[in-house]
Amino acid sequence: MPTTSTTSAAWRRAEARLRDWFAAQGRKPAPFQRAAWKAWGEGRNGLIHAPTGTGKTLAAVGGPLIDGLLHPAKGLQLLWITPLRSLATDTTGHLAAAVEAMGLPWRVLRRTGDSSSAERARLRRGDCELLVTTPESLALLLSYPDVATRFANLRGVVVDEWHELIASKRGTLLQLGLARLRTLQPDSRVWGLSATLGNLDEALHALCGDGVLIGSAARKRTRIDTALPGPGERFPWVGHLGLKQLGRVVQAVLEVRTALVFANTRSQAELWHEALAAVWPEAPETLAVHHGSIDPKLRLAAEEGLRTGALRCVVATSSLDLGVDFSTVDRVIQIGSPKGVARLLQRAGRSGHAPGAPSSILCVPTHLLELAEIAAARRALAADHLEPRHPLRGCLDVLAQHLLTRALGGGFHADQAYAEVATTRAYAQLPRAQFDAVLDYLEHGGTALAGYPEYHKLVRDADGLCRVESRRVARLHRLSIGTITSDGSVQVRYMKGARLGAVEESFVARLRPGDRFLFAGRHLQLVRVRDMTAYVRQADNRQGGVPRWMGGRMPLSGELSGELRRVLADGDAGEAEMKALRPLLAIQRSQSHVPQASELLVERTHTREGDYLFVYPFAGRLAHEGLAAVLAYRLAQRVPADYGYAVNDYGLAITARKLPPLDSEAMRQLLHPWGLRRDIRASINLAELAKRQFREVARVAGLVFNGYPGQSKTMRQLQVSSGLLFDVLRQHDPEHPLLWQAEREVLDQQLDYARLRDALLQAARGPLRYVEPPRLTPLAFPLWVERLRGGVHADDWKSRVERMLAQLEKAADR
Amino acid sequence: MMEFGIEVAGETLQLHGERAVFWPRLRWLLLADVHFGKGAVLRRAGVALPTGQTLDDLQRIDRLIAHYQPQRLVVLGDLVHGRAHHDTPWVADVQRWRERHAALAMSLVVGNHDRHMDAGILGFERIDEVLCEGPLALGHEPTRYPGHYLLAGHVHPGVNVRDGWRKHRLPAFRFGRSVALLPAFGRLTGLYEEPPRPSERIVAVTPAGLLPLATRAR
Repeated sequence: MPTTSTTSAAWRRAEARLRDWFAAQGRKPAPFQRAAWKAWGEGRNGLIHAPTGTGKTLAAVGGPLIDGLLHPAKGLQLLWITPLRSLATDTTGHLAAAVEAMGLPWRVLRRTGDSSSAERARLRRGDCELLVTTPESLALLLSYPDVATRFANLRGVVVDEWHELIASKRGTLLQLGLARLRTLQPDSRVWGLSATLGNLDEALHALCGDGVLIGSAARKRTRIDTALPGPGERFPWVGHLGLKQLGRVVQAVLEVRTALVFANTRSQAELWHEALAAVWPEAPETLAVHHGSIDPKLRLAAEEGLRTGALRCVVATSSLDLGVDFSTVDRVIQIGSPKGVARLLQRAGRSGHAPGAPSSILCVPTHLLELAEIAAARRALAADHLEPRHPLRGCLDVLAQHLLTRALGGGFHADQAYAEVATTRAYAQLPRAQFDAVLDYLEHGGTALAGYPEYHKLVRDADGLCRVESRRVARLHRLSIGTITSDGSVQVRYMKGARLGAVEESFVARLRPGDRFLFAGRHLQLVRVRDMTAYVRQADNRQGGVPRWMGGRMPLSGELSGELRRVLADGDAGEAEMKALRPLLAIQRSQSHVPQASELLVERTHTREGDYLFVYPFAGRLAHEGLAAVLAYRLAQRVPADYGYAVNDYGLAITARKLPPLDSEAMRQLLHPWGLRRDIRASINLAELAKRQFREVARVAGLVFNGYPGQSKTMRQLQVSSGLLFDVLRQHDPEHPLLWQAEREVLDQQLDYARLRDALLQAARGPLRYVEPPRLTPLAFPLWVERLRGGVHADDWKSRVERMLAQLEKAADR
Repeated sequence: MMEFGIEVAGETLQLHGERAVFWPRLRWLLLADVHFGKGAVLRRAGVALPTGQTLDDLQRIDRLIAHYQPQRLVVLGDLVHGRAHHDTPWVADVQRWRERHAALAMSLVVGNHDRHMDAGILGFERIDEVLCEGPLALGHEPTRYPGHYLLAGHVHPGVNVRDGWRKHRLPAFRFGRSVALLPAFGRLTGLYEEPPRPSERIVAVTPAGLLPLATRAR
């Protein structure tokens, strides 16, 4: 591919045109923008990291525009990948404006899941030079046989908001797509845009291998305020809703023109919206709710309202963490702990879009100890301790999907495909045997030992070329490309037809016609359920519940919990939050002990329900869940009994009618890191957890077909639950690569194995303090009220049935 | 327990943990939603599913026949899942199995899936209407049948059972006021669970036998 030296007169003339455009708007290119243009001109790859609103988009597109002036050509030149469909529209507008200002004859097109058929047709004819698309739509483009001609003129790819994609399977899918593009066009450049991350080098490497990191010098100041309890005010020791603070929040919202209220879960957002609506003094239509399960149309309306300033307040979840900039937002409010430093920074960044203005966020604690989390987040932010986001490694389900895409997009030879896949960071260490196992799955259904007649997803011809022959397989694959999954969800719509969004099937299953619930900020009444749709009508009030969605709660991040331990141990902490927390810490100190930063505190307390053992590793709720199971298991090895457990982000509780005598030496032995993996397997029913995880794996790998709206009866006939498949595969084909993938995801994601192991290593190295307080301490109390999450049980179905029968009989006697 | 007796419309029925019902007075064995060949249909569509399900299910019927020595086997709809192709081995498997039980009368009350295939090929007598016998009616879809107590399939009923802090999702027999739902016999079938109604008698099917649930009047 021809490049023009960036020191040549031609290059400088082209760059001058871009600078003139900046000047016409009264701006000057920032040094990092010019550096990025130059690096693109030199044909290099790179990653641009800068806070939102500092001109990342122009930094990335400047190079391609100059390049386009110097090397005019027809056909697709630049691919712009964005994680959000809603962003695509906005970005397309921005980019088109820049293209026009440069006087480039480029046609800018958008291709996402909701593109019109006219746009799709234009794309098929190759009628565009700049294409804005999503990772899934890119995968779809790669699944057509003419893929090589489509990308024949490609000069580069820009990935927007790479930090949002990097740690997910979508990021893995994109890495594979980029590897494919690199094979088709070895000279094309790959650039990424990212918010600040704790692991920028890794992010760069995962995106494009070798490249330059370019950051803006501009630093945005972030101000963190806290809604502190007033003097003499009784503030709860536990809680997660925080509605007690409603008055303060209403006041903070009404003080400014437009405010954004962030909640941590979708149900919390619904409840806060309802509470605000009940006391809202303004016109009702100026208040809205926004979360991932609400219908895209309603969400877009809320976003539009924010942009134009028609809305005064939106209650949102992480669904608004990223996306279009809302210059109208002057205040951001965070309900409860943000659970991570980067997340807090990103949310704060949604306010104060005027250049130079600091962003600010008001944190509203839902219980006392969250005060310390807020103080810790402020310290971590000041020290630039942001969370890393690690790319996933070796996901076999995504690989299966990609290989089928490749098979459709012209076919492949196994050796070539393996070599290409291994160039990505995600699969750099993938053993050939695993690659072959995935190929076997596509070709034969599973491992060679189990029988899969009639199954020919992938066909290998005499030359070893792998292709898809069945048009049905091709069609189903294209329909289900992508890795985002919404599982078992039921559409919610009015009888008249307007769609409101989706809730989990299990929630609807508990409802009867006539029952009321809260959803999408409305009080609804269920009329009937038909064909995976819940038909509802407006109700005047709510008596029933609020839907809960799976996987709502994020664990406290490692960075934040490390800082939290230091803040708690810091007796001289001067933050207002810590001053407010002093009385509580004094109680903790007098009854038990406040753990030092590297110290592990263990408490044992007797209550009326039995003995409780509390351990505080501060490793996040996921790791604590695994740890609790292991600890309960090890206790049961010593003294056989029924042990139940509960967890939160600070620690875990084990409960039994009677716990054996313990001391710090015994605790050290119970918490030693030796044999951890073995004890996890013994203590947790991995199969049961993996079965849940398998749903997503099966869908990504194309093992089950999700169906699509308006599908015909014959399609429905193909639906089979992933749980059933899981059982059949475990019985008949236990070596299946997708079973292995599901179990690995359980360890990595559901149990946070890496953090779990680190917590035990830390406990083994550091001091351990064992205390037996007479009553529940402030740290213990929240764990005591948590619902029991699980327990150690070694029962089979026979004893389960006997136990349940005994219980039922007991209940009947009463 | 593997068996549980239940009285309905003056008749006594034996529920069996293999998801079957035996009617002792007539010596009829009742199964619903067998879905033979579902695996083959799915494999053809690109769902990787190992073979062996149909043979497993045939063995389960064999055991039930050996246990009860029935005079007639009645399937309450959905004997097969989809169309059978010429290279589909399960058809031959079922035919061979049918020949082994040549003396036993087998009937199929036609269900929605059975339109894909002529059950005669498999040696089943085809009944296009609801089959009435005494106070009972045997049908596929659970639409009330006036004058009779209807036993039906079609919905693959299930129930959630609490067990301490755990919850199990299980197939179930659900006996309502005028309609009873039988669990799907085929192992490769889904589950549709509903909260219990006050009027229902529910018997859950666990891998270790039957679990009759007490339903309290609410």
